[in-house]
Amino acid sequence: MEHAAEHHAAPVGKTFVLARFETGEALVDACYKVREKGFQHIDTHSPYPLHGGDEALGLGRSRVPRIALSGGLTGMFGGYLMMVYMNSVNWPLNVGGRPPHAPPSFIPITFETTVLLASLSIFFGLLALMRLPQPYHAVFESEAFRSAVNDGFWLSVALPPGGDGKDASALLSQLGGREVSTVQEDMR
Amino acid sequence: MAAAEHAAAASPADALDSYPLMVGKQDNTTLTGNLLAHVWARPDKGWLLAFAIAMAGSGALVLAITVTLVEGIGAWGNNIPVGWAFDITNFVWWIGIGHAGTLISAILFLFQQRWRTAINRFSEAMTIFAVMCAGLFPLLHTGRPWFAYFMFPYPSTLEMWPQFKSPLIWDVFAVSTYFTVSLLFWYLGLIPDLASLRDASKSPIQRKVYGIFALGWRGSGRHWHNYKVGYLLLAGLSTPLVVSVHTIVSFDFAVSLIPGWHTTIFPPYFVAGAVFSGFAMVMSWMVPARHFLGLKHVITMRHLENMNKIILATGMLVSYGYLMEHWIAWYSGNQFEWFVFFNRATGPYRGVYYLMLFCNVLTPQIFWFKWARTNIPLMFIASIFVNIGMWCERFVIIVTSLHRDFLPAAWDMYYPTWVDITLFLGTIGFFSTLFLLFLKFIPAVAVSEVKELNEELQHRPAPVTVVTGA
Repeated sequence: MEHAAEHHAAPVGKTFVLARFETGEALVDACYKVREKGFQHIDTHSPYPLHGGDEALGLGRSRVPRIALSGGLTGMFGGYLMMVYMNSVNWPLNVGGRPPHAPPSFIPITFETTVLLASLSIFFGLLALMRLPQPYHAVFESEAFRSAVNDGFWLSVALPPGGDGKDASALLSQLGGREVSTVQEDMR
Repeated sequence: MAAAEHAAAASPADALDSYPLMVGKQDNTTLTGNLLAHVWARPDKGWLLAFAIAMAGSGALVLAITVTLVEGIGAWGNNIPVGWAFDITNFVWWIGIGHAGTLISAILFLFQQRWRTAINRFSEAMTIFAVMCAGLFPLLHTGRPWFAYFMFPYPSTLEMWPQFKSPLIWDVFAVSTYFTVSLLFWYLGLIPDLASLRDASKSPIQRKVYGIFALGWRGSGRHWHNYKVGYLLLAGLSTPLVVSVHTIVSFDFAVSLIPGWHTTIFPPYFVAGAVFSGFAMVMSWMVPARHFLGLKHVITMRHLENMNKIILATGMLVSYGYLMEHWIAWYSGNQFEWFVFFNRATGPYRGVYYLMLFCNVLTPQIFWFKWARTNIPLMFIASIFVNIGMWCERFVIIVTSLHRDFLPAAWDMYYPTWVDITLFLGTIGFFSTLFLLFLKFIPAVAVSEVKELNEELQHRPAPVTVVTGA
């Protein structure tokens, strides 16, 4: 099987066309126009969230609130039931004559486990949704793209397999994009 | 011409705000340059000196912990009846200091206070380091900290579970949750700035190290979409959390039956005190940091003045707490309750009590006046006084309530030993060490958020100009 791979062409990485815009508004405008032309996998890259950026990319509601809610509910019921099981079922504990199942005394920890589980699920849910950590991405092949997290506003268009990106590059230049370049994922 | 420019830079955006949020005309490039500059700069002599002193303090902390572990907590001045003393005083003081960070980063975020943006990173870092210092004290006070994991609910061979009706176990959950959530919130906010450091760096090593912590962030719009929601939700969760943490800390006292502790006013009174001391600590660090790190253009007089207003407001809440505590002690007609408060003002620890009143009740009153709110040396000194006053408050609450208990035959005095004092000063050294490292390696200001704020400030509608005579 190992030999078989040698006979095939090396795997081709994903290809992106990149272009830099002067301002956030220009990037949002360009994003709308590129999407209207039928390009599918578009992304904006900016040092801070763009005003109207979500709509320009056509993104729907975020799934984070539902993840947070499910984490919070797990923490709430899990925390309370944990205490009931430990202090009143598995080993009923009589402290100063209070009942083994003492709801008021269980509230503070229930609150804390709710917040803890909701926060952990937000954090790790976010990482999962964003597919981070991802140390390598094709866009990092462009040295100029490094301004995207500092002062540049970049648009990236992922090309379908086999596409040469000429149409996308031409469109981006026409929309006022600077430093238009094509980058390919390094598959080594 | 220069005067006109100066006037334009300082011109109020809002008729009621006399100081700008950002000085001068900034754009994303200049902000990247000047907010990251202090990370690229080689440490100067002042930083190295401060770091050496802070490291000496951390060394003293290690020494004091070693003595405590070898000798046991008999090395401290605690006795019967004063079973809680410096240890719990320091614990409550440090936890309280942490609260300002969460208040600034979460509550002011929910209220959309724009002035929070330049100072949130700074105060969140303070929260994390303060909670680390705080956690040390109850841990050591258990006497055998290597068994501290007994407090967590795990199926042990002893077949014993934690006693969940005890406020001390509530505290374990509250403080560990608080630390975890603060750390996640801080780190989440840091990711875009770590990416900024990665890509602004010239050195391959820095690029690699910051790159690892930046997790491959590329400012993607699809990421920001979820990130904004996640950040908002974490802020929403941190807000009740911060209130719950000091409430639960106050339950350690309020749920007991000790006169002077057993009062219902404790939770709100403790939360107000925590915010009060926390803002003072932020002020004590911010005044020098903005000067030495060259951040005066983003942390302006507006920020300092607003913080002084919060110090005044929370100081008044704390003063109201004192007033009510004493009033109820008298009005209840309970002789033990009244004795505790009478003893605070006239007993052997009255010096600490009057120092507390001076620092916490009188000092913040200067902030009624604008000249005081905008006088930098004065606000720095006042913030130090508030820090001292809030430490005294916890000492007064804890030690004076215990040292003369129900039977005069059992009364005793508490005096700290050198180990107590070294532990406390050592945590200040440890906190400073962590904070100085933070100021050296991580942007002290949330760069991405400040750029967004700058964008908003430039695009908002023209301010309504109030034309006055002359």
